[in-house]
Amino acid sequence: MNLKPTVIVIEDEKSICSFIETTLTAHQYKVLAAATGQEGLSLITSGFPDLILLDLGLPDIDGLDIIRQVRGWSVIPIIVISARTQENEKVLALDSGADDYITKPFGTSELLARIRTALRHHHLNGGGALTRPEPVYSFDGLNIDFSKRLVTLNDEEIHLTQIEYKLVSLLAKNAGRVLTYDYIINHIWGPYADNNNNQILRVNMAHIRRKLEANPAEPHYIFTEIGVGYRMRESQV
Amino acid sequence: MKQPYLAAMHKQMNKKLKAHISRQKKKHAKWKTAPMSSDTLIQNGILTVAVLSTATVLALPFFFLGNNTASVAIIYILAVVFIARYTEGYIPGIISSFIGVICVNYVFTYPYMKIDFTLDGYPVTFFGMIMISSIISTMTSHLKVQNRIINEREKLLMEAEKETMRANLLRAISHDLRTPLTGIIGTSSTYIENQETLSEKEKMALVQNIYDDSNWLLNMVENLLTITRIRANADPIHKTSELLEEVVSEAVQRFRKRLPNAQVKVRIPDDFIMLPMDATLIEQVLINLLENAYYHGSSDQPIQLNISVEEDFACFEIMDFGPGIPPDKLPVIFDGSPSTPNQSGDSRKGMGIGLTICKTIITAHGGEIQARNHKSGAAFLFRLPLETTADYENDGLSENDL
Repeated sequence: MNLKPTVIVIEDEKSICSFIETTLTAHQYKVLAAATGQEGLSLITSGFPDLILLDLGLPDIDGLDIIRQVRGWSVIPIIVISARTQENEKVLALDSGADDYITKPFGTSELLARIRTALRHHHLNGGGALTRPEPVYSFDGLNIDFSKRLVTLNDEEIHLTQIEYKLVSLLAKNAGRVLTYDYIINHIWGPYADNNNNQILRVNMAHIRRKLEANPAEPHYIFTEIGVGYRMRESQV
Repeated sequence: MKQPYLAAMHKQMNKKLKAHISRQKKKHAKWKTAPMSSDTLIQNGILTVAVLSTATVLALPFFFLGNNTASVAIIYILAVVFIARYTEGYIPGIISSFIGVICVNYVFTYPYMKIDFTLDGYPVTFFGMIMISSIISTMTSHLKVQNRIINEREKLLMEAEKETMRANLLRAISHDLRTPLTGIIGTSSTYIENQETLSEKEKMALVQNIYDDSNWLLNMVENLLTITRIRANADPIHKTSELLEEVVSEAVQRFRKRLPNAQVKVRIPDDFIMLPMDATLIEQVLINLLENAYYHGSSDQPIQLNISVEEDFACFEIMDFGPGIPPDKLPVIFDGSPSTPNQSGDSRKGMGIGLTICKTIITAHGGEIQARNHKSGAAFLFRLPLETTADYENDGLSENDL
């Protein structure tokens, strides 16, 4: 792309805002900053951003309201910035339409990786461009061929059950993004599944982990974000 | 016909009682007797009347069947003892002993319904009864007062102890916070003042120092937040059922992110193990212990995190291969006392509040934590109770092809 992607940062903490601005500008993004929710909303409607970085704890509007308002008319990727102790808010934000979250304090590389992932998924999912979804997932020995429904680890085929394959491919197609328990359960077991009981999901994830990971306690491909959901490592294709 | 009479008499007595008690209150102010409210007074009155009436009713059969005045007197003495035991102050006891003596004389001895002290032998009985019941009632009320004083003293002592604990914790916290802050301020001012003369490499080292110190600070603050999380909720902690490997893997991942140079070897049972816990808190414990092992172990051998299941507990053991824990520190290692002040001031190696918090968290989960030295280093071990119901067992895990 020859155009710089525009990122809107809505964050009331000046030092954090300036640190994000410096980093993103240095990495060829155009940054627009807003310190309040109102200012942010008007920037979003006028600035045609490619991505929104949103702090949940704003002085004027609840960050969740901003997500819902923006989702009313747009699919612009939104990444939520949150503090560690707010698991519930994270899940609420994700289920209200945020694409991903990043926990304070975060490093530069983490922030940039999240932004890249969100932008790429946005383009893949018909964000205007005609690109097709990647037909394969590949990271460090693990390969998934979505058309053949084939999962191999170090060139050896891995036998997964129907549900397990659905889970892995859902995570792989959204690689790099966190998927909440509710989102996964809705996609695999349908909207009428018992969302309050994610036991079945955890059991299946434990199976998958034992099939894919050398040491389930030190996963290499699929990470758990306790209280939120699961995230699969970015594909390297 | 005896009861209304008694009650009426008692009303009169109660009036006197009130006056008496207000005097007593002043007298015993130094004992810190709780000021007697009208509620207690009424309670005392009701109790006294009730017990005396019961005693009278109980005494009637003895009287009608055997005309046994001695038994009647003993029943009244018993009543007085009860009253002294279950009322505030010793006034009700003394008053009821008077009433009892008068009752025995008036109701139960010839001439009935008349007070007559002239009968042969009776003055001795009456006098003895008054003495016995007064002594018992004063003794019991004395005992009660003493008990209260002891209780109050214990309370005061406990509060003082809590206060020292809080003071110790605060001292440890400020000590632990100041050290990295001093580092950050010092390093950054060095950078600002000597920009021109410093080489790129030196600058890099300074910034790296600031980065390390802030990370240390961050962990400290997260620990403090953890404390408030425990203290803020009145009920101990909010536990949910978590999958062991998920909690451990997230903790290890966060630890690695913070200290990329650290090496950890994790061993975990292959089973599907669910534990009731507050995952954030247990992760904090694991990270604290891993970080401790990293800073204190300072050896090339990787830290070991071994998890096993023993009967109804999951055991977590964190082992480092460093110098171990000084034996004199072992018994107090979880007490949160700041590292002995005369030791070299490298407080980064002081354990500070981290271990105290670990202990608080584990105890709140109904588990236990221990520290010990093994052959070539230190080891921390904690146990958490497993889920009691085995609902999730064999949830298809048998077909597991590992």
